[in-house]
Amino acid sequence: MGEPIIGCNMKPKKDGALREAVLEIYNFIGENLYLNRPDIEINGDKFNSTLLMSLLTGLCQGKELIIGEPGLGKTTSAEYICSLLYCFPLGTIWAGEVSGHPEQTEEKIIGRPDLGKLNQGEEVVVWSHFTMLPVKIVDEINRLPETKQSIILDGVDRGNWEYLNDAVMNREYCLFATANYQDRATHTMIAPLIDRFDLMVESKYPGPNLAYTIGAQSAKDDILRHGELEDEFKSVLNEKTPVGQRLERIAELRARFGEALMHTSGIRSLSDSERRTIRSRLEAVRFDLDANAFLRMVLAELSFCCRFGQKRSQDNCEKGCHFTEYLCYAVQTCISNRLPMSVRIFSQALAWLLGDKEVDLRHLKAILPYTLAHRIQWKEETIARQEREARSDPLEIHMAKKAVKNMHRRYMEQGTQVKNALAVACRIVEGEALEPIQGDHPIYWEISKDLGKELIQP
Amino acid sequence: MAMDDILKDIWDRVRKRHLFPELPSPKYGQGEPRVGLDIKGKQISISREFVEQMSLKLDQDDIVEGLLDHAVSHYLYCPWDLATHLKLYAEAKNVLKDKQMAQIATDYFMDIVADTHCVGQFDTPLTNLYRRLNKGRLDEVVHAVLQRIWGVDLGVVGHTDISRKLSRLPYLDRKYWTESIRRFAGAIQSFLENETKQGGEANSPNPMGRHTPGQYSSQEIEEGLMQLANEAATPDEFKEIVRDFETEILDATRLGEEAMGVGPGHSLDADILYYMKLAENYFIPIRKKPMQASGSLYPHHHIPWEIGHPYQDVDPWTSFGKFMPPITQTWQRREGEVFGREEGVPDCVLIIDSSGSMTNPRQELSYAVLGAACACDAYLRNDARVAIYNFSDVDAGGRKILPYSDNRRDIYRAICHYFGGGTRLRVENIETLQCDGMPDIFLITDMQITNLQLLIQYFNDCENRVTAVHVGDNKHVREFRRAMDLNPNVGIYAVEEKSDIPRIVLGKIRDFFY
Amino acid sequence: MRNPFQEFQTVSFKKKNLPLSRIVRAKQDVMAHILEGYLNLVEAEAKDFVWLVEQSRVLKTYSEAVKYVQSLNYDQDDIEEFCGELDGSTKVPYVIEGPAGIYVSALVNQLSDDRVVLRLKDYQKKFHLLGYRLPVGKTLILQGDIGDFTGTGLAGGCLVVEGSAGNWCGAGMMQGEIRVAGTAGWKTGEWMKAGEIHVEGWIRGVGQNILGGRIYEQGKLVSPQHRGSQ
Repeated sequence: MGEPIIGCNMKPKKDGALREAVLEIYNFIGENLYLNRPDIEINGDKFNSTLLMSLLTGLCQGKELIIGEPGLGKTTSAEYICSLLYCFPLGTIWAGEVSGHPEQTEEKIIGRPDLGKLNQGEEVVVWSHFTMLPVKIVDEINRLPETKQSIILDGVDRGNWEYLNDAVMNREYCLFATANYQDRATHTMIAPLIDRFDLMVESKYPGPNLAYTIGAQSAKDDILRHGELEDEFKSVLNEKTPVGQRLERIAELRARFGEALMHTSGIRSLSDSERRTIRSRLEAVRFDLDANAFLRMVLAELSFCCRFGQKRSQDNCEKGCHFTEYLCYAVQTCISNRLPMSVRIFSQALAWLLGDKEVDLRHLKAILPYTLAHRIQWKEETIARQEREARSDPLEIHMAKKAVKNMHRRYMEQGTQVKNALAVACRIVEGEALEPIQGDHPIYWEISKDLGKELIQP
Repeated sequence: MAMDDILKDIWDRVRKRHLFPELPSPKYGQGEPRVGLDIKGKQISISREFVEQMSLKLDQDDIVEGLLDHAVSHYLYCPWDLATHLKLYAEAKNVLKDKQMAQIATDYFMDIVADTHCVGQFDTPLTNLYRRLNKGRLDEVVHAVLQRIWGVDLGVVGHTDISRKLSRLPYLDRKYWTESIRRFAGAIQSFLENETKQGGEANSPNPMGRHTPGQYSSQEIEEGLMQLANEAATPDEFKEIVRDFETEILDATRLGEEAMGVGPGHSLDADILYYMKLAENYFIPIRKKPMQASGSLYPHHHIPWEIGHPYQDVDPWTSFGKFMPPITQTWQRREGEVFGREEGVPDCVLIIDSSGSMTNPRQELSYAVLGAACACDAYLRNDARVAIYNFSDVDAGGRKILPYSDNRRDIYRAICHYFGGGTRLRVENIETLQCDGMPDIFLITDMQITNLQLLIQYFNDCENRVTAVHVGDNKHVREFRRAMDLNPNVGIYAVEEKSDIPRIVLGKIRDFFY
Repeated sequence: MRNPFQEFQTVSFKKKNLPLSRIVRAKQDVMAHILEGYLNLVEAEAKDFVWLVEQSRVLKTYSEAVKYVQSLNYDQDDIEEFCGELDGSTKVPYVIEGPAGIYVSALVNQLSDDRVVLRLKDYQKKFHLLGYRLPVGKTLILQGDIGDFTGTGLAGGCLVVEGSAGNWCGAGMMQGEIRVAGTAGWKTGEWMKAGEIHVEGWIRGVGQNILGGRIYEQGKLVSPQHRGSQ
């Protein structure tokens, strides 16, 4: 493997063989396949955000949107993660990728009728590799017209793919979608689709020195290829047998691929049961009280409106509103319920990966910007204020990071009072005769609403 | 354990206690033995000499932890940001009338607030540290106050009256900080005067370190100045504060802050900085790329095929291989919508009247200059250039022309220039600024121009988009309106309140751009 | 119904109470009472729309003010702070100059301290009628420039102005001493019966009807030696 290349200095923790295995995968990809600089720091450890978030997406069965300039490794980073976490050779993953272009049809993405059987009067669906495989990559999703984006909407959300009268339900899947920046050939992504993504990250330029090294590497993908097994994967996937049976045969092939990888590269990939174990462990990671309270504060700021009850896209905030300094004034729409789901699972995954017993503010601060970046619709004046600021992230992620930083600062100032307010609310719900604690933040107002007490408008 | 390891362990603890503030890890720095702490650009430096000396009286862990608690409380609570810091300083200076005394008073006030917040929230060794510090006379007074308000013994005897007086201030109530620091500064004025006579800070520096703009990051300084400009009632109020900290602000923003108008080799022109920062409060977004038809058809949806319809778009898959209405489906193609190319934003010629009837921007807030500044920023942000024609009595030399430029500082310097003479311009000057790209023209004036007829004729002849913004109503305005009535290129806006000028200017630019 | 706050059940919501909170709360209570007394006084006086400085009126207002003030528990810092509230706070909806100064004088006179120092130089407002009826044995030191009718009706106390005084300084004083570090305005000592006024700066105009006592300007006796305006 050689010396670690700059940008990857994670040392595996002593406890948890599974954690070690996952970290080894991270290190392996970072040193050999996806060369890039670390751009975030969590508790003194530096990570590359694209790789880290993709790894967490793969572990959590999440959905990630990767943006960036053409040729900066958006798709390849996702392919490597999928290959090593789910034990598929690259060739099989390529065969299952859907590429975004206007000519895409449902038949090419999801499945088509078996024409031979159809002529005999039988409706049998030939499912695409994309549908069957647990790893799903949609390349350049914003080149799909909006109608085609809707086609994969439901499948993306629940792992259910329907065609004719048949359906495939993915028991385990993760989705990676890539998108270039807006140009002549791209469309907007419809809001319901974009909200279904858990995270958005940017695959950045690695710098000239690493780029030179990338250029000098030849055939690095060969590490994750296996011609013979890829042919077997292809023939099993193309068989005309029930999907369940094929997936069982696929599982055997994956195990063989895993052994081959271990033998050739010394890297251990994860089996299905190991991934299940990881998921159950990370779901058991609890939130500490500060993380809990902070997340509630974030949700309050992104959904509250003192005048109209909640944020709505058609309601305009008035200038001089009492809460002008809070995010509720700077955003246009109400944050969706998918946000806390994404934040929760990814924070737990991050805490587990770092070997921490609980999710605390550090994990939330690291994850929140990437879960918020694509979901927040900022007001024009807010964007105008920040779009020319010096930054190293794309504007959406930069603004999300800044927002999280400001909310965190507010929490640091009034965290104790917020927790007290929540504690008092708990007691009130249990029947104690107490008055809710008041304060100058939307969270206090929302607590009062939950308790059935409306506060007077400021 | 080595000092650096101790520092790292304690920092982890302090950081967690304060809920993970966004501060870099502190380090030991070279400092003097009497001062424990220094903060520059958010980087906390602890004086090794101070710690070593103090460790003769107190456990090293407690010293370091107390200093870190103090530093983090300043970041988290008081002063919170540069604007608050400068406002507190301004209030103190209003009372004390002396820069050095005001700085000392502000520093001590902020120390009391930050430390009281910390002591009230957490179990901190700060009280032990204070108990063991070497105290100057002013430190004794402050510690006497802390004794009262914390309810702990810090080893200070005496100063009953002053500590009683100062203990009544609501330090933890942010809304009363400005009032509180006034009272605080007034109460300790005699002590400060004594300190100054005896050599001031040089003889007995604040052991917890000084607070200067240098402790903020350059981004925080920019935001703080913007806020201060917005809240200052007059340019003088802003200038007075900023000038007192000119060196520190310049030092802290040394790394190429061209956009701020400061940078190496420049002094801080507070007048220009005031309008630069004030204009940043008025924003219009950068023009987005428009959506347009892509020009190519793509299969959009299926419709049932009917006999007689063309068959080349029939979808065999959806039709299950059959040609049979209504089973057979055919594609309906639509033209897609994609992001198009944006048109360039034209350059702008800004004509501003700085005759005697207009407000002097250096003495009072000039909305005319502010409106001009907003217009310039809007064009510059959209990668256009701006030329300035600042006129008073041109024949008497009252004119300033800046050719097309994208240098914000130069543009602001031209806008803020005030002649205060008569009002006569030369259309030839405007003509020299015409270029191939047909620039937009903005005119901000009170319309009391001696040779207004020439200007009217010029605008009627030219094809540029012209926006004239004027204050008030007079016969010249009516004359101008009558003459421009039929000219579709010229928009005239009267403002009742001068404060409407930036809004009108930006509204018009928004119409142009979107 | 599910308790959405369940996880915070274990949070103890008693927070550390510093003595500062108690001190500030006590002070705020006192200030509230002082303000209440002032507002009651002003309401009573405001019925006539115009408040004039005439002897009987001033005496009546002072008596009313003493009634409000007698039952209060305060110190000189509270008085100074009250002046601050009069200067620019939103808690005082309107300020009528005469009653305001008389109320402050009542507060000073009813205080048990022999020596009261009020720092007024930081305020925009100039207070009038301060030192009204300052009794024997009491010293009032006013830091800053003061308004008109300072030391009116002085009743034996010592009034020190570390600044300049306005017009009618010492008018109608009965006994006692007034020391002004700066200047004094017109009608200084008008209707004074006894006592001394020392002005270290210059006096714009000495009163024409001086019944007794002495006035010194820059150390030189100007009344009873000098009669009429200068």
